[in-house]
Amino acid sequence: MNLFLFFWIFLKASLLSFGGMGNLPFLHKDLLALGWAKESDFITAIAVGQLSPGPSGLWSVSLGYLVLGPVGSLLALIALSLPPLLILVVSTFYSRIENQPIVYRATRGLMLGIIGLTLGTLWDLGQSAIISWLDVGITLAALALALSKKLPVIVILALAAAAGLLFYS
Amino acid sequence: MSRESSPSVKHIQNAPQPKPTGLWRIFFTFGMIGIQSFGGGSATFLLIHQTCMKHGWMDEDEFIKSWAICQLSPGINLIKLTILIGRKLRGFSGMLAANSGLLVPSAIITGLMTAFYTLYKDLPAIQAAMRGILPATIGLSLAMSANLAVPIFKAAKGEGKVRFVVQMVIIAGAGLALALDWLSPLWIMLAAAGLTALALTYIPTPPPAIPESQNE
Repeated sequence: MNLFLFFWIFLKASLLSFGGMGNLPFLHKDLLALGWAKESDFITAIAVGQLSPGPSGLWSVSLGYLVLGPVGSLLALIALSLPPLLILVVSTFYSRIENQPIVYRATRGLMLGIIGLTLGTLWDLGQSAIISWLDVGITLAALALALSKKLPVIVILALAAAAGLLFYS
Repeated sequence: MSRESSPSVKHIQNAPQPKPTGLWRIFFTFGMIGIQSFGGGSATFLLIHQTCMKHGWMDEDEFIKSWAICQLSPGINLIKLTILIGRKLRGFSGMLAANSGLLVPSAIITGLMTAFYTLYKDLPAIQAAMRGILPATIGLSLAMSANLAVPIFKAAKGEGKVRFVVQMVIIAGAGLALALDWLSPLWIMLAAAGLTALALTYIPTPPPAIPESQNE
């Protein structure tokens, strides 16, 4: 596996992303096309990212590990840490762009784009993760519980694991 | 490289200025924030906000402005926010200490958990548990996207029906273009940015609900 290409794919995804899962559509497209990752690797990595502490963006560290072991997770972490440094450039120009409506309009467009792309990718991922009607129920229950903000995410996942153990073993 | 923690480093006494926050303290504070935050960004955001207020690292105005700047630049917002706080506290080394604290302990735990999973993924119990966890993960990811979308929907709703519908169409179009393989994600992003900028420039917003009384 070409390490530079691996790093570039993760770096590019982070450069183009807004928000913690924004790199998902890009990684999904590129890594599947190369045959370096399976559909199930993405959901597994997102699941680990939800279970483990830290900003949700760290899910791609788990993906890096699944694709390339410890080296992969290190490269993924570096790729995640570099693009945010552009904030130093943006903050220098902020007083000049603060009142430019075009900046906000284009940024709004990027946010809309990333939401659509993430939904499109989740649709693909769902087709491998959601097989039975029970799975549909678990998905909707997790969605509703997360939106209600009554239970911490880790408890929702523990309940889902218990449901899996109960019905699938 | 030239920075050494030898005792010969001279401590400059500046009476009116408060002592700068120690790098280890920055590292540990952000490390605690990192490992305490589970399940998405909003918990981490609140912890960072609390910490900044408690230690007086930023006032409310500066914090809000920093968060606004974060929205205009790529990558994970919490990392960008941490960069700005670290820079304010101790310049470049502060940025490094704050972000290492936020990311490294959590990334190590994430890596270890993945390693643990790959070791034991063939156990029947793990497989059964994962059959429940994976659909739940899709649900949680949908909720994360919804949380990202809600503030935008609210803003778009206030701008009138036409603009709101156009923005919904752009989201749906981006998702479809990806799912149906029409365009690469990069082109979809550029198209979304361009179309939204055009729409928000040329589609007028409805007049405000409160009538202006100065017209006769």
